[in-house]
Amino acid sequence: MPAPAATASLLEGRSRKILVVDDDRLNRRILSRILLPEGFEAIEADSGENALELYAQKNPDLVLLDVMLPGMDGFAVCRELRTRYGAGAAPVIFITAKAGSDDVVEGLAAGGVDYLPKPIRAKEALARIHTHLQIRQLLAEQRLLVEQLSNANTAKNRFLGMAAHDLRNPLAAIRGLAELLRDGVVGTLTHDQLDLLETIHTASKQMLVLVNELLDVATIEAGELKIYPDTVDPLDLVEKAVYVANIEATTKKTKIAIVPHERPQPHVFDPNKIRQVVDNLLSNAVKYSPPGSTVQVEVESVAGSIVFAVRDQGPGIPESEHGKLFKDFGRTSVQPTGGEKSTGLGLAICRKIVEAHRGTITAENQPERGCVFRFTLPS
Amino acid sequence: MPFTGKILLVDDEAHIRKYVGLVVRGLGAPVIFEASSGEQALALYAQESPDLVLLDVNLPGMTGVQILSGILAQDPDALVVMLTSLANRQTIEECLRLGAASYIRKDTPKEAILAELSAIVSDSPNDPAP
Repeated sequence: MPAPAATASLLEGRSRKILVVDDDRLNRRILSRILLPEGFEAIEADSGENALELYAQKNPDLVLLDVMLPGMDGFAVCRELRTRYGAGAAPVIFITAKAGSDDVVEGLAAGGVDYLPKPIRAKEALARIHTHLQIRQLLAEQRLLVEQLSNANTAKNRFLGMAAHDLRNPLAAIRGLAELLRDGVVGTLTHDQLDLLETIHTASKQMLVLVNELLDVATIEAGELKIYPDTVDPLDLVEKAVYVANIEATTKKTKIAIVPHERPQPHVFDPNKIRQVVDNLLSNAVKYSPPGSTVQVEVESVAGSIVFAVRDQGPGIPESEHGKLFKDFGRTSVQPTGGEKSTGLGLAICRKIVEAHRGTITAENQPERGCVFRFTLPS
Repeated sequence: MPFTGKILLVDDEAHIRKYVGLVVRGLGAPVIFEASSGEQALALYAQESPDLVLLDVNLPGMTGVQILSGILAQDPDALVVMLTSLANRQTIEECLRLGAASYIRKDTPKEAILAELSAIVSDSPNDPAP
């Protein structure tokens, strides 16, 4: 990890400190004399141990490291720097008397970025030093950028989650109160009043769906999709979901029917999350089937897994658009049949929930008409 | 049989109290008491001993869990249904463990809210929970 101070100096282009490690005083002098006129600060170390100590104190931007050192050799120093400072460690250029030998290979393997053969030629040394400082600076900039983007993304998710959460309750109240007015709970309304009310009801209902889906996406993206497994009776869950979805479906004269099968075995999954998937598939099936259709729902135990299927009577999904189906905002060309809205988020959320259960979800056109959405939860 | 008992409705959001209050009228002819805070809820509970409490999970000040504990301390047989907006499973599970009878999401269609509550009040007349 780079120390913040080092990152700051890098970003301002002040990469000026070079640690020169050689046990030979004359060699250190030669290198220092090359560096000083270029505006570099040379920090001299006469052993591996001394180099590590000075590195910790001075936080250099680059290390010129002799391979042959008494005690700890150059390779060991380089490996130690990588261990201590990771990817943020300053680049190490080895100085070797035996260029072309195994020293070069071993130096690069130890984490060095380059090597300089002895005797040192000033122009070559400076060119390589500049190159590696430049690379290091670019890396630091990139790391900072990634960090900034990641922070911005987290802030976006948090904001989205907060906004969606605070919008949800008032919207639920608006939608619910509009329904109560419509149903004549507080007196009979005229035709025109009912018409306006229907608009309020539809708009608030659509907004509620959108807000819920945005909240889900924010939660999932923030890595907070948590599964709370429980032993559940799958048929019971489907019956409850169908009961609620039928309330909505009757406005399109559509019926949702459960196809009878042998009662599935109790299964372990997160009942709230899977209920959400079932609700979503049911509402989609109603949305894309012509009014007066029958949507069929099946739930079965198959070889220890549990399989849910929802069969609609819509136009099916064009083969070419299957890829979009389970992606974020992946709206297809297929239109709802009653003017309903679609955010293109619902199925992406379903997929993420099913996958968090190690399950799979698929969509398949039927030969005659309509589409079957099927998801399987393994045991 | 229409429900004519007392319901205590606890939520800090007035629009939710208004909405849920209208929905529960569908149970029959309940007498509804509203509280917007934990302190108010506990005082009303002591005064009215309602037959059913609808209790928001997320309130500023005393939390739903604290209010639930306070009500159950007054009356271990209290019938309390939690109202939730976020399906915060951990909090809900804690409430159920403490002794809440059930929970309802506020954005559930009103017919489903009513069906759930009807089942709860018809199950329970002075029948202490197992």
